[in-house]
Amino acid sequence: MSPVDPDLLSIEHLSVVIRRPGREVAALSDVSLRVGRGEVVGLVGESGGGKSMVARSIVGLLPGGSHATGAVRFEGDDVLRMDDDALRRHRGHGAAICFQNPRGALSPTRTVGRQLTDRLTTHQRLTEAEARRAAEEQFAAVGIRSPRRRLGAYPHELSGGMAQRVMISLATGCAPGLLIADEPTTGLDVTLTREILRRFRHAADTDGRGVLLISHDLASIADVCDRVVVLYAGTVVESGPAARVLGRPAHPYTRALLRSVPDVDGRAVVATPGAMPLLKAAPHDCPFAPRCAHATAECTAERPPVSRVPGAADDWTLACFHPRTDELAFAEPAETPGRATAAERAVLEVDDAHVVYRSRFGKGGHAALRGVSLRVAAGETLGVVGESGCGKSTLAKLLLGLVSPARGDVRVAGSRMSDLRGGELRRLRTRVQMVFQDPIGSLSPRRTVADAIAEPLRALGLPAARRAERVEAVADRLKIDRSMLARRPHELSGGQAQRVCVARALAGEPDVLVFDEPTSALDVTVQAQILEVIADVVRDPARGSVFISHDLATVRGFADRVIVLYLGRIVEEGPVDEVFGNPRHPYTRALLSSAPSLGDGFSGPKVTLTEDLDDTDAAAPGCPLAARCPFADDRCRTEEQELRPYGNTRAACRRVPEIPDLLKGSDIRV
Amino acid sequence: MSETVVVGAARVGRFATVLIVTGSAILAVVALAAIFAPLFTGWGPTEIDPLGTLVPPGPGHPLGTDANGMDVWSRLLYAGRLDLGIAVAGVAVAVVAGTALGLVAGYLGGWVDDVLMRVVDIFQAFPTFILALAVAALVGNGTGNLIAVIAAVNAPAYARLVRAEVRTVRESAFVAASVTSGASTSGVLWRHVLPNSLTPVRVIAPLNAGWAMLTLAGLSFLGLGVTVPAAEWGAMISLGSPDVVAGRWWTSVPPGLVLLICVLGFSLLGEGLQERAEAKRR
Amino acid sequence: MRIVRFVVRRLLQLIPVLLGVVVLTFLLVRVLPGDPIRTILGPNATPEDAAAARARYGLDQPIVKQFLDYLGGLVTGDLGTSIQSGTSVGAEIGLRIGPTFELVVLALAVALVVAVLLGVWSARHADRAGDHGVRLTALVGNSMPEFWLGLVLILVGYSVLGWFPAPSGRVDPDTNLTPLTGADLLDAALTLNGPAFGSALAHLILPVATLSIVVVAPLLRSVRASALEVLHSEPYVAATAHGLRGRTLLRGYLLRATLARLPSLAALVFGTSIGSTVLVEYVFSWQGFGQWALRGLLYRDYPVVQASVLVIAFCYVVVFLIADVAQAVLDPRVQI
Ligand SMILES: Nc1ncnc2c1ncn2[C@@H]1O[C@H](COP(=O)(O)OP(=O)(O)OP(=O)(O)O)[C@@H](O)[C@H]1O
Ligand code: SF4
Ligand code: SF4
Ligand SMILES: [Mg+2]
Repeated sequence: MSPVDPDLLSIEHLSVVIRRPGREVAALSDVSLRVGRGEVVGLVGESGGGKSMVARSIVGLLPGGSHATGAVRFEGDDVLRMDDDALRRHRGHGAAICFQNPRGALSPTRTVGRQLTDRLTTHQRLTEAEARRAAEEQFAAVGIRSPRRRLGAYPHELSGGMAQRVMISLATGCAPGLLIADEPTTGLDVTLTREILRRFRHAADTDGRGVLLISHDLASIADVCDRVVVLYAGTVVESGPAARVLGRPAHPYTRALLRSVPDVDGRAVVATPGAMPLLKAAPHDCPFAPRCAHATAECTAERPPVSRVPGAADDWTLACFHPRTDELAFAEPAETPGRATAAERAVLEVDDAHVVYRSRFGKGGHAALRGVSLRVAAGETLGVVGESGCGKSTLAKLLLGLVSPARGDVRVAGSRMSDLRGGELRRLRTRVQMVFQDPIGSLSPRRTVADAIAEPLRALGLPAARRAERVEAVADRLKIDRSMLARRPHELSGGQAQRVCVARALAGEPDVLVFDEPTSALDVTVQAQILEVIADVVRDPARGSVFISHDLATVRGFADRVIVLYLGRIVEEGPVDEVFGNPRHPYTRALLSSAPSLGDGFSGPKVTLTEDLDDTDAAAPGCPLAARCPFADDRCRTEEQELRPYGNTRAACRRVPEIPDLLKGSDIRV
Repeated sequence: MSETVVVGAARVGRFATVLIVTGSAILAVVALAAIFAPLFTGWGPTEIDPLGTLVPPGPGHPLGTDANGMDVWSRLLYAGRLDLGIAVAGVAVAVVAGTALGLVAGYLGGWVDDVLMRVVDIFQAFPTFILALAVAALVGNGTGNLIAVIAAVNAPAYARLVRAEVRTVRESAFVAASVTSGASTSGVLWRHVLPNSLTPVRVIAPLNAGWAMLTLAGLSFLGLGVTVPAAEWGAMISLGSPDVVAGRWWTSVPPGLVLLICVLGFSLLGEGLQERAEAKRR
Repeated sequence: MRIVRFVVRRLLQLIPVLLGVVVLTFLLVRVLPGDPIRTILGPNATPEDAAAARARYGLDQPIVKQFLDYLGGLVTGDLGTSIQSGTSVGAEIGLRIGPTFELVVLALAVALVVAVLLGVWSARHADRAGDHGVRLTALVGNSMPEFWLGLVLILVGYSVLGWFPAPSGRVDPDTNLTPLTGADLLDAALTLNGPAFGSALAHLILPVATLSIVVVAPLLRSVRASALEVLHSEPYVAATAHGLRGRTLLRGYLLRATLARLPSLAALVFGTSIGSTVLVEYVFSWQGFGQWALRGLLYRDYPVVQASVLVIAFCYVVVFLIADVAQAVLDPRVQI
C-alpha cells in the first residue's frame, strides 16, 4: 500500500497507553504529524505532554508495558510493526536521536571517537581507518576545535556544549533520513543555544534530512522551524507554519503558553492557573477545558476534532471548538517601581568577596568569585545574571553563609556572619532565606510540608502551637491548600513544591530572600505562576531580594537593579532598564543579542562572542573576556579591568566609550 | 483502526514479592520450630541416650544420635535459638554502632572522618577469628561475647555504608535549606540526614544477618564459638565431621542443611528487598 | 607515571593502618586468656621451668621493651621465633603460604570467570526463567556454610564415590615432588613431574570447588546488578537507539562499563574469603597458612599470631589497592 513518494515520517493516529501494575497512563492519544525531507518541525509542549514518547515511538523504543495503536510510517513502513532486523536497520540509519542530556547519553568508558566510528562502521559501511578519517571531519563539521585530539577524549572530559556537539555528530554519523533532537539545548548557555540550533537547520538545508526538534522552549526554536506541532496532555492541539502558530496562535493553550514566556523586551507574563492533567485513558473532552477561559458546555462533552483554522492555509490545524483569531494581547511592560534609593536601609552588603573552592588533594584551588561587592536595600530586588559556571550559585551560597569568603565580608542586617557562632549564628541565618532551583530536592523527602515550612520557626524557638498558626498563615498567603500540609514532597508537583519552598523562606519573616534559578526546573505555564508568586513576595517594603537566573528575560520582569557576572567578577551593574536597554559591557550586549525572543527581543546593535566559554580564561591576566570579545585589543589582554561608572551604570570595560563607534563596523552585526 | 502493538510488559516486582514472602516464611518456620522445640521432640537438647552413641536414624531417634549419644533431631530444633538469637542481636548492635559512627564521620568530615575511618580500616583488616578471640577475652565468655563478636565484625561495613550515603545526602539541597533555616547540627543530623541515609542499611541488614549466622557457625566449627554440649549448628557439624570419612552422614549433614536453609531465608528476604528498592529507584 | 605516584601515595597511607594492626595485635594476644608457655611445657612443669622458658622468649621483659624489640625485629624483617616449634616464623610462613596462595588464586580465578559470564548472561535475560534460576542458585551458594559444603563434597566425592583422594595432604608423597615454591601444582609443572601434577590436581579439585562456590555467589550478584544498571543506563539505550550491532553493543558498551564498577566489590569479597580459606583448609587438612595461623592462635603462640595477622592485614590492604588501580584502569572517570 505504499504510495509513490511517501512522506519521510508520517505518524497516523498514534495512541500509546502504558500499563504497569497499579499505574496506567495515556501517554499519547490519537497523535498525527508528519515530517518531510529537508523540513524542520518543532514539537513543543510542557513536560509530560508526550514529546519524548513521540521520539521513542519513531525509533521503536517504547517503554515496557506500552500498548500502541495507529501507525508510525517511516518511508511507508510501519516502525511499530517492524521485526528486529528491520528495526535495527531503521534505528540510526532511518531515524537517529540526539539525546536530551548528551553527557549522560555518551558511554563513559569509551572514547567519543570510538563511539562515532562505531556508528560510521555500522551504518555507512566504512572500514576502521576510513571511519577514523570521517570521524575527524564530522567533529570539525560540528564545530569542535582540534578534532583529532578530541577523538581520544572520554565524555567526562568534555564541557556540556562540547558533549552536545559530539552527540550531534553521533546522530548525523548514522546518516539518518530523520534527525530527532530531544531538548538539544537544555542546560546550554544562550550564546551556545543559537549555534547548536543552527546546525539542525543546516542539516535540513544541505543534507536534505528531516529534522524533528523537540523543545519546551518556544522562543529559542521559533526561528529555525518550518512548522511547529503543539502537544498538550498527549494530544496535538495545534499544528502549522511556525510563523503563524507562534505569531498569532489560534488555540487557547498555545496562547496561554506564549503568554507565560518572559521576554527580554520586558513585557509582563500572564499566568494561566492550573496544571496539565496526567490522563489515565484517552480523553473524551478537551483536556484543556478546566484551565480554559473560553470553555463551554460543548468542550467538556466532546473531544474537539482536528480542523483547519478558519480562513488559513490548509496546513494550519487545531483541535478546539472556539478558535481565537484576534491578535495575541500582552500586558504592558510592568512599571519598574524604582522605589529603592541608596539612602534606604541596607539589609545585605557584600564587600570585595573572594570565594575559593580548594581542591581535595594538593594545593591551589578554583576561584569561583573574585572581588564581588554589592548592596541590597530594604524593598529592593537585585537581579543577578550570567552564564553557567560564572559563580551565580556560589554567590547565593555566600549570601547564605554556606561558604565563607577567603577575603572580604558579608553583612546581613548589619551583622557579620563570620563573627557569630552557635545560637546567634543560627538566629542570624534565619534572616536570609533561599529558594532553591530544584524545588522537590530542597524538601526533605521524609518530612511533611507543614514540617518543612515550620523549619525556620523551629530555629527561632517558637512553641508548637504558634508554629502551626504561622504555618497556616503563610500557606494561606501563598494559596497552598491546607490539605497539602500533611503531604510529603514526592506527592507534590514541581509548582506546588516551589510554592512550599517560598512559604518556608517567608515563614520566619527574613530580611533578605535569595532566589537561585527558582523557575528553571519548572514548566512554562507553571513558571509563570511561580513568577507571579515571587513578584508578589518581593514587593514587601521591609525586605530585600536577590534574584539569580541565567535567563535574562525572567530577571528583567521584576528586578530593580541587575548585576552581570562573568567568571566570578561583576562586569556590569545598574538599573534594570538601563542595562537591558543600553548595555555598556560587550558581554552584556552579547548575552542580550543571543537571548531568544518571541517578541521584539533586544533592539540595539548585536554582537556575538567568538568562542565557547573556557574556564582557563579566568586565570589569564587582563580582561577575562579578551579571548572571546570581538573588541579585544592588546591592552585588553594585559590590563586588569575594574568597574567604572558610565552614566548610571558601571561596567568593567575600558573601551565602553568607543563601542558605539566600533559597533558601526558591519562585520560584528548578526 | 489497526490492531494494538504491545511492548513486552515489565513484570516489576513480582519476583521480588516471591523472594520476600518465601524468605520470611522460611525464617518464621525456623524461628517457631526453635521456640516451640519441646512440642516436636521428646529428647532434651543435651540429654544423653544411655543406649547408644552414633545410632543411625530410626524409630527412636528420627535423625539418629551423635558421638555423645545426644538426639540429633532435638539438637537441630533447639540450636535455632542460639543461632538466630546471636546473629540477629549481633547485627542489630552492628547496625546501631556502625550507623552512629558513619553518621558522625560522614557529616563532620575533616579529621574526625579521617580518624574514624582509619579505625574502621584497622578493624576491617583484622581477621574475624582473632577479633572473635580478643572480644571473648575482653568481655568474658558466653552468649553476650558472641553477640559482641558479630557486632564488631560487621559494624565497620555499616560505618562505611552510612558514611558514603551521608556524604551524598549532606550535599543535597534540602540539607542546605535546613542549615540556612537556622537548624542546629544535631537537628539536621537527626531530622534530615539520618532518615534519608538508611535505605541501604535496611536492604543489607537481612543479608548480613545470614552471613552473621555463617560466621557464628564457622567460629563454633573451629571451637572458638559455642562449644558442645550447647546446641548450635556449627558445633554440631564440627562434632560430626570425623564421621564423614566413615560415611556416617546424619551427624553433620542435617545441621548444615538447616543452617543453609535458614541463611537462605535471610538471603531471599534481602535480595527481594534490594530488588524492590532498585525498582523504586528506576 | 600517575599510577606509580598513586600507588606510592597509597602505600604510604597504609603505614598507619598496618602500624595500628601491629599495636593492636601485640596488645590483644597478651590479653587473650591462656599462656603460650603452659601449652609447651605441659601440666607437670615447675614454676622454675616456666620462668626459664619465659626468659628464653623474652616474655619476662616489661611490655614496652617487648614491643620495641618486636618492632625492631619487624623493621629488619625478623618476625620472631615460634614458641611452639622453635623455628623462625619467617621460614614457616615461606613454607605455608605457597599452598594457600595456590588454593585461593585458583578458586578466585574460577569464581571470577564464572561470575562474569553468568552475571552478564543473567542480566541480558533479566526477569526470565533462566535469570531467576541463576539468581536462586547464586543465593543458595551465598547461604552455604563453606566448611559444611567441604564435608558434603568429601562425603560424596571420597566416601561414597571414591573419585577423589582422602582429605589429608596436598599431594601423594610417593610421587617425590621436589618443593620449590610450596605451591604443589606449580612445582610439579616446573619440575615436569607428571604423576605429582596429577596427584596435586586431584587433591586440589574439591577444596577449590568448595572455595569458589562460596565466593562466586556474591560476585555473580554484583556483576548482574552492575550489568543490569548498564543495560538500563542512558548511554546503552542511546547506543541501541542508534542501531549498533549486538556484538558492538556487548563489547563496546556493556562489558567494560559493567566491569568498571566491580573491583571494589571483588576486593570486599576477597576480604570475606580469607575466613573461608581458613575453614576450607581445616576441613581438607590442607597444611597451609590458614591452618598454621589457626594453630598458632589456639596455642597462643604470640609471634605466630602477630605475624599471621600482619600478613593477612597486608594482603587485605594490598588487594584493596589493586582494586583501586584496576578501577582506575577500567573507568576513565576515576581520578588518581
Ligand atoms: N563545590 C565545588 N567545588 C569545586 N568547584 C566548584 C564547586 N561548586 C562550584 N564550583 C565551580 O565554581 C564555579 C562557579 O560555580 P557556580 O555553581 O557558582 O556557577 P553557576 O553560575 O551557578 O552555574 P549554573 O548556571 O550552571 O548553575 C564553576 O566553575 C564550578 O565548576
Ligand atoms: S475546545 Fe473549548 S476548552 Fe478546549 S481549548 Fe477550545 S475553547 Fe478551550
Ligand atoms: S576590556 Fe577589552 S576585551 Fe574586555 S570587554 Fe572591554 S573591549 Fe572586550
Ligand atoms: Mg547554579
